[in-house]
Amino acid sequence: MRHVEEVMGTVVSIELADDLPPARLTGLVESTCAWLHEVDARFSTYSDDSEVCRFRRGEIALADCSDDFRHVLDRCADLWRDTGGYFDAHGGGEYDPSGYVKGWSVEVASQRLADAGSMRHYIGAGGDIRMRGSGPGGRPWRVGVRHPWEADSLAWVLSVTEGAVATSGTYERGAHVWNPLTGKPAEGLRSVTVVGPDLAVADAYATAALAMGESGLAWLAQRIDEGYESAAVTDDGRAFTSPGLPVVD
Amino acid sequence: MRRSTAAAVGTLTGAALILGVRLSVQPATVPVSAAAAGNTAEEPEIDEAGEKTAEPEATATKKPSGKKTTAPAEQDKQEEAGLKSGTFKGKAVQHTYGTVQVTIKISGGKITAADATFPKEGFSGTINPNAVKSLNSSALKKQSADVDAVSGATLTSGAYASSLQAALDKAA
Repeated sequence: MRHVEEVMGTVVSIELADDLPPARLTGLVESTCAWLHEVDARFSTYSDDSEVCRFRRGEIALADCSDDFRHVLDRCADLWRDTGGYFDAHGGGEYDPSGYVKGWSVEVASQRLADAGSMRHYIGAGGDIRMRGSGPGGRPWRVGVRHPWEADSLAWVLSVTEGAVATSGTYERGAHVWNPLTGKPAEGLRSVTVVGPDLAVADAYATAALAMGESGLAWLAQRIDEGYESAAVTDDGRAFTSPGLPVVD
Repeated sequence: MRRSTAAAVGTLTGAALILGVRLSVQPATVPVSAAAAGNTAEEPEIDEAGEKTAEPEATATKKPSGKKTTAPAEQDKQEEAGLKSGTFKGKAVQHTYGTVQVTIKISGGKITAADATFPKEGFSGTINPNAVKSLNSSALKKQSADVDAVSGATLTSGAYASSLQAALDKAA
């Protein structure tokens, strides 16, 4: 079963490949969407009554925030440290965890689906995808990585059964990626894709490497030992992949 | 610079280098260079130190053991009175974690400031550049293939409409 849901300022694509009764699949999709909308309501920086906005205005103390809210705040701090400040939820001046929340919420959604009996699915949110089990026909999921100059072409095709694929790029119009350490637009890398166990981490790593520019390549190489493979394209069109990237030939 | 002065600078370089290294590892415990940072720009820069530091550098690697690590700069201040005024830059020294360069300021025969610069830009310095070699480099390919999903830079709802993922979703 396939479903498309507009939420969190983007479009979420859900595919359940499980051999389950249609009514059950529909229920799983509905509960997934309900969770994503719940996250959106709590973490949106666009709605004044979200937990994030109330926290920003000082109307709610950290101790009174939800467990999820404090978890997200903690993880943003962890990732800020782990990326040498290149993943910065405070980079825009005010606390904005959006860059973490999307991946995290999809990660949680996938776990909830698994707990509810869906062992074969993917959830993609605005180009960041979490997969579980095998895809249609029992083969691994096939994930295309968008070509950084040609929107209708792919640069790589990856084969994934368990894990996440996240891509950050400077090519999407209106989506400026900033180097939080210099305050200037990121340059040097056009596109960074990270593949690994956790979508929120993969997403943060891709964002951080992109912000670093070419030195992000060396940084990505060091993430391999943590279980995060990568593919990157420089502004001048050179392509780099880590040896363990699950590329389909 | 006289030879003795060069040697003194070298000793200082060594001492400051140790501080610099300590600093870069544990930013909280840095006394000298943090306080001194920012002062050097006001002084005329004498860029002769670069060529003279070959031997001081060797001194730097040998000296550390005998020094009191708590206040080596202090000690040197007293020992080396009578130095030529100016700002002296040590040779940039390559370490596994990046490049370190020490600058001292001498005024009135005393060292008035010592500072060490270390890589601040990205991870370019903190990582061995050879790390990139563990990535495979290749020409960017362009392909179209049957896929279940497409990963790309974050799409807004508007941009989604014209994306490959949208085409996939429609086709399903």
